[in-house]
Amino acid sequence: MAARNTAPMHILLAEDDAETAALVERGLADAGHKVTHVADGDAAHRAGDAADFDLAVVDRMLPGVDGLEVVRRWRAAGIRVPVIMLTALGSIGDRVAGLEAGADDYLVKPFAFAELSARVGALLRRPPLAEAPTRFHVGDVTLDLLRREVRRGAREIRLQPREFGILEQLMRNAGRIVTRAMLLEEVWGFHFDPQTNIVESHLSRMRGKLNEGFDSDPIETLRGVGYRMRGGD
Amino acid sequence: MTEKRRSAVYRIAFIYSGAFALAVALLGVLVYVAAERALRGEQDLALGEATAALERSYRTEGYAGLIDAIGARGSTNGVVTFGYALFDASGRKVAGSFDLDLPPPGYSNVAFRDPIEGLDHARALTTRLDRNLSLVVGIDSQVLERLDRLILSLFAGVLVLILAIGAGGALVLGSYLRRRLDRISGTAQAIIAGDMRRRVPVSPRGDEFDQLGIALNLMLERIARLLDNLRQVSADVAHDLRTPLARLRAGLEAALSVDAPAAQRAAIAKAVEQADATLALFGGILRIVEVDAGDVRQGFVTVDLTALAEDLVDSYAPAVADKGRTLACDIAPGIAVPGDRELIAQAVINLLDNAQAHTPPGTAIRLTLRAEPGIARLEVADDGPGVAAADRARIVERFVRLDRSRAAHGHGLGLNLVDAIARAHGGTLAIEDAAPGLSAVLRLPRI
Repeated sequence: MAARNTAPMHILLAEDDAETAALVERGLADAGHKVTHVADGDAAHRAGDAADFDLAVVDRMLPGVDGLEVVRRWRAAGIRVPVIMLTALGSIGDRVAGLEAGADDYLVKPFAFAELSARVGALLRRPPLAEAPTRFHVGDVTLDLLRREVRRGAREIRLQPREFGILEQLMRNAGRIVTRAMLLEEVWGFHFDPQTNIVESHLSRMRGKLNEGFDSDPIETLRGVGYRMRGGD
Repeated sequence: MTEKRRSAVYRIAFIYSGAFALAVALLGVLVYVAAERALRGEQDLALGEATAALERSYRTEGYAGLIDAIGARGSTNGVVTFGYALFDASGRKVAGSFDLDLPPPGYSNVAFRDPIEGLDHARALTTRLDRNLSLVVGIDSQVLERLDRLILSLFAGVLVLILAIGAGGALVLGSYLRRRLDRISGTAQAIIAGDMRRRVPVSPRGDEFDQLGIALNLMLERIARLLDNLRQVSADVAHDLRTPLARLRAGLEAALSVDAPAAQRAAIAKAVEQADATLALFGGILRIVEVDAGDVRQGFVTVDLTALAEDLVDSYAPAVADKGRTLACDIAPGIAVPGDRELIAQAVINLLDNAQAHTPPGTAIRLTLRAEPGIARLEVADDGPGVAAADRARIVERFVRLDRSRAAHGHGLGLNLVDAIARAHGGTLAIEDAAPGLSAVLRLPRI
């Protein structure tokens, strides 16, 4: 993944496995981010206290204070840094515990770096709740959340609810990759991989409706990774 | 004996009979004291009456009359032996057969000389008739003493008897309880030694031990099931993960031996794909284990099955249509079950997926949701070629694929996961003949 016009961000990486840490660090650095790496819970806690990070990637099973506790302490201290928790534990209860501790996203190891990168991108750009927009414009496509309305140019496009949800996620993250797993989570609320093509078939139907009568496709498919809405702010 | 001393059963039985014996001894002491008191009261009353009668004789008939009266009264009155004596002012006995020294006035316990038995004890009432004459009336305590002894020996006998019966009962009860408990611990020992099939013997009486036995047997069944599951998983992992890992290894090895970067890239991409497939398989096994373990029940909420089924049909219909099959539904309103929304969704998706993966294009798939008494019945049926009756039960098992071709869809975990999810929700999965085609029926307890 090449860096896409994102301003350099400062990311805290708390991961005790040296190999995973090196891979993630290099990947994030390649994307133009500045990465501070710590290898245990106490260091992660101190680092989060001492400096303002734009995002933290925290392994759940850190030596010393574990990742859950680190995030819990940050939240208790009012540190609102967005957190992606990494874990080897993939059960339903583990994910709930991670989110309850205050993590914003939860990624089960082993993961493709592209998946982490997409989630980092989504979290870094997530606007605070209070100023969440209700209308999105990307290129000639407009999506209105309140009126549940999609237009391309002057033409209104009628989408099924799931198709609308997929387009909304793509437009919220315009210019950035949205993975299949992210769409399953956001649009269907599924935190498992159903091993079927429901995302693909909804997306292709939505794309068909969006492109009917136009000769350009604003949605880019990145094989094996996800989708991206071209353009963006 | 040390074994018996350590045994809680014997200790309780002995303490119980000991406490009972103590209560009897206490009762004996109380009866003894109360009887003594009552008899002494009676004695004093009799003494008072005799003294009053003699005093009357003395007042009316003088000294000679008194002597006559004493003579007339005789020495016995039923079983009680009376004794009489008269003393002058100097304390010398002047008349009467009662051989003793002058006691102080009033009631007193005195010693007297019995002509036959020697020194003996008596209860006496001493009254001054006038300045020169004191009358002493006494009752031999012998009767009272005999009664006391009788009470004491009676209770002592009973006490010994109770201690004997108690000890005997404790031994019998103790050995009975020991025998019942030994059966349970015998089973436990056998299981520790590795015989997982042993169960606690349960008698038809249905007493406390039998209830304990039944509860323990149920627990053992559950543990045995989990162990079987674990054994199955280990075997599955050994068999089904080695194959893709071996392929992955061979692919990487081949990539090492070629020089062309493009060929290497392709080999690596293929290896990543295979690694992902292996991880997905591993994740699938772990998911089934997690569902089977039953921990998921803690997260159960009320799931609107009607809405979920409609939603899944809406989500799935395009994918089914893309593969050239049709998906229709018949969903009854207002059906809710306690459960985990995502797990139920996964079960239904697996059933839909199964229906389209193992049927030819053009197959009609139908999802039906009905309310039966206490049960939500969700059926996914197709009009495809179906499955032979002999294979219908087998396809629910883990890693069973009827079409053994390498390209076969999935890893043979789909229906097994549905079955595990159904059981975690207290429901069942049944594979039936839809004539034509196959029908998978998920039954879940309804709210």
